[in-house]
Amino acid sequence: MKEVAHILYYKILIFLKANSPFNFSAVVKSIGSTIVYSIFAYGCFIMTYNTINYLLVTVKIGSFLLHRFVLVVLFIFFIAINVGNMVVSFSTLYKSKEVFYLITKPISFTKLFLIKFLDNFFYSSTTLLLIVAAVLLGYGFYFNLSFWFYPFALFFLVLPFMFTAGAAGVIVLLIVLRLAGKWGLKRVLIFIGLIYSSSVILSYFISNPIKLVERVFDYYPNINQYFGFLESGSVKFLPNYWIAESLYWISENKIDRAIPFIYANLVTSIFVFGVALFLAKKWYYQTWLTSLQVNAELRNKNKSKIQFFGFHKKSILNGFDESILKREFFLFFREPSQWLHLLVMIFLITIFISSISGIDIIILKAYNEYLKTVVYLIVSLFNVFLVASLSLRFVFPLISLEGEALWKIRSAPINFNDLLIKRLAIYFILIFFFGQLISFFSNFQFPAALSIVAQINAALTTITLISLNFGMGGLFANYKEKNAIRLASSQGASITFLFTLLYLVLIIAILFIPVSNYFYALAHGINISIWNLLSSSIILFALAVVISSVSIKLGLKSFTKDF
Amino acid sequence: MLEIKNVTKKFGSFTAVNNLNLTVKSGDFFGFIGQNGAGKTTTIKMVSGLYNPTSGSISIGGFDIYKEPIKAKSLIGYIPDQPFIYEKLTGREFLFFSGGLYSIEKNKLKKIINEIIEQLEIGDWVDKRTEEYSQGMKQRITIASALLHDPKLLLVDEPMVGLDPQSAVIVKNILKEKAKNGAAIFMSTHSLNVAEEICTKIGIIKDGNMIFSDDTKVLETIKGSNHHSLESLFLHLTK
Repeated sequence: MKEVAHILYYKILIFLKANSPFNFSAVVKSIGSTIVYSIFAYGCFIMTYNTINYLLVTVKIGSFLLHRFVLVVLFIFFIAINVGNMVVSFSTLYKSKEVFYLITKPISFTKLFLIKFLDNFFYSSTTLLLIVAAVLLGYGFYFNLSFWFYPFALFFLVLPFMFTAGAAGVIVLLIVLRLAGKWGLKRVLIFIGLIYSSSVILSYFISNPIKLVERVFDYYPNINQYFGFLESGSVKFLPNYWIAESLYWISENKIDRAIPFIYANLVTSIFVFGVALFLAKKWYYQTWLTSLQVNAELRNKNKSKIQFFGFHKKSILNGFDESILKREFFLFFREPSQWLHLLVMIFLITIFISSISGIDIIILKAYNEYLKTVVYLIVSLFNVFLVASLSLRFVFPLISLEGEALWKIRSAPINFNDLLIKRLAIYFILIFFFGQLISFFSNFQFPAALSIVAQINAALTTITLISLNFGMGGLFANYKEKNAIRLASSQGASITFLFTLLYLVLIIAILFIPVSNYFYALAHGINISIWNLLSSSIILFALAVVISSVSIKLGLKSFTKDF
Repeated sequence: MLEIKNVTKKFGSFTAVNNLNLTVKSGDFFGFIGQNGAGKTTTIKMVSGLYNPTSGSISIGGFDIYKEPIKAKSLIGYIPDQPFIYEKLTGREFLFFSGGLYSIEKNKLKKIINEIIEQLEIGDWVDKRTEEYSQGMKQRITIASALLHDPKLLLVDEPMVGLDPQSAVIVKNILKEKAKNGAAIFMSTHSLNVAEEICTKIGIIKDGNMIFSDDTKVLETIKGSNHHSLESLFLHLTK
C-alpha cells in the first residue's frame, strides 16, 4: 500500500497546487467560491429544515411518508453516482494518460485500479458530499438529533451508500469490457444495457411511493405512524430503502431498529467494493488491453460509416457554419463518453416522464390544497433539475472542449462571438426541446392553466440555465481537460451547480404563493384568473433576462483572454 | 507585411517581451532565435492574436491585429510549437475544417488539400484519426492547415520539432518557396543551422529584449570578423 499512498500524496499535491496559484484573480476566485459554497450550504440547511417542517406541520404527510420521499431522492442519488462513475471510469481507468504512464511502473494493476477509483470517486463526489452534509445538518436540527448523528450518518450511512453506487458502476464497466473482448462491444452493450435499464426501471417502480401514498392516505388523518406493513417486500433489498429506514428510526429515537439497516448498508458497501477489487485484480489489465483494441476497431468502423455528412460533401451552409457544425457533430459522436452519457440521460428522462405522466391527479382531490401545491412544485422542480443536469453536462464544458486546438480558431479570421453563439445554439435547441417535452408530459394532468404556465416557465428556466452554464463554463474554462465529464464535475461546475440550486430555491419561492392560491381557489370554488399564475412567469422572465445577459457576456469574454 | 512597434508583454510582474520593435517585409525570411524562455513564442502568440500585448501595436499588411483582427488574420498562417489538433477528426477532416474557417470555396479547397497532401507526402495516413498520429505527423498536418489559404505572412514556431529528416527537408523547401513567391516568413527556432541555412534576416531575443536584428549579409560580416559560425555568435551575444 506504500505505492498507493505515495501516488495519492502527489495527486493531492498536484490538486492543491493546480487550485492555488498565488495571483490576485485566483485569490478572488477562491474567496468567491468559498462564499458561494458557504451561502449554498447555509441555504441548503435552511431549505431542508423548512421543507421538512412544511411537509410535517402544514401538509401533514407524516414522518413515514416523508422518509419514503427520501427513499426516492436516494434512488436518484444512487443512479446519478452509479452512471457517473461508470462513464467517468471508462475515461480515467482506460483512456487517461496517467494510466499509460503508471502502467510502465512496477506497481500492481489492482493498486493502479484502486488509485484511479478513489481519484474518480472523490473528484466527482465532492459537491454531492457537500450538499449531503448540509442536508444532514438541516435534517438533524429539525429532529433535534445529537452531535454524533452527523459524523455517524456521513461515515456509516452516506459514504458507504455512495461507495456502493460507485463500485457497482465500475463492476458493470469491467464486465462490459471483459465480455466485449469475447463477444464484441456492440452485442455486449446491447445485452448489458438491456439488463441495466431493466434493473433501473424495476428498482424505480419498486421505490416509487405513489401507490404507497394512496394506501397510507386511506388512514388520513391518522398517518403519523409506521406503515411498513403496506410496503412491497422487494423494496427491502434496495440500499436506498436501508438508508431511508435507518433515518426514520433514528429520527424516532429507536436506534436499535435502525441497526440492521445500517449493518446491511455497511456490509453491502464492503462486499461490492471487494468484488470490484477482486474483478480488477483478475480483469483490469486484460480489459485495458481490450479497450485499446475496441478503440482501434471503433476508429476503423467509423471511417466508412458517416461519409454522408463528411467534410468533403457539398453543403447549403457557408464554409464557416458548415465547418463548425460538422466539427461539433464528429467530435460529439466519436467520443463515446459524450453520446453514451446523453443516451443514459435520455433513458432516465424517459423513465421519469413515463412515471410522472401516470400520476392520477384525481387522487389529489382527496387531500388538502397544500399537498397539491407540493406535488406541483416537486414536478416543476424535477423538470428544472433535469434541464439543469443536461445543461451542466453538455453546455458547461462547451467552451473548455475547444481544447488545446483553440489556437486554430483564435488565429483564424472569424468572429468569435458568432462561433460561440452558433455552438451554443446547437445545444440550446436540443435542451430546449427536451425541456418542453418533459414539461408537457409531466404537467398535462394538471388543470389547463397550470399546464400552460408550467410550459412558459419551463421555457424561461431552460433559457436561464443554459445561459448560466455557458457563462460559468467560460469563466472557468480549462482547455487542458479533454474529458467532458470531469469538466462537468470540476470546481467551476460545482459552483455552477450550487447557483442552479439557489435558482431552484428561488423558483419555489416565486411559484409557491400563486400556485397554492390557485389550488385554494379551485378547492373552494372561487374564480381565479390565470394572471395570478402568470405573475410567476413575469418574475422568471425578468430573472432570465438578467442572468442570461450577464452569463452570455461572461461566456463570450472567455475568448478574449490570453491562450 | 509585419510591423511590431514598442510591444511589451507582462505576465504579472514578469516581463516576457520588452519594448520590441521589428519589421518583416514581403519576401523576407526572418529567423527569430533565442534561448528557452527568451520571449519567442510569446511574440508569435501576440502576432497571431492568441495573446494581448500589455502595450504597443502589431500590424499585419497594414491592419492592426487587435483593431481589425479579421482582416489581419486572413493574411496569417500560424504554425504553433505544439501541434494540438482535434483527436477525433482525421487529418483530411481537420484540413477541411481549417479551410472552412477561411471560407474557401469547397471545390477549390478540395483541390488545394490534394495538392498539399501530395506536397507534404502525407497521403498514406491523412485519412486516419489524428489520435493515432505521432508528433511529427501532427506537425505536418498543422503546417498543411496553415498553407491552405495561401497566407501572406507565415508565423512559424519551432517548425522542425518532431519532424524526421525527410519531412524537415520538405518543410524547409516549402517555406523557402513561399518566401520566394513573396510571402513573409517569421520563424522562431532553436536550430541555428536551420536559421543559418534558410533565413534572410535574423533577430536574436534575450530575456524579452531584441539584442540583434539584421540581415544575413551583416551577420556574415560579423561572423567573418570575430566568429566562425552563427552558433558562436549566438553564444557570445546571449552569454
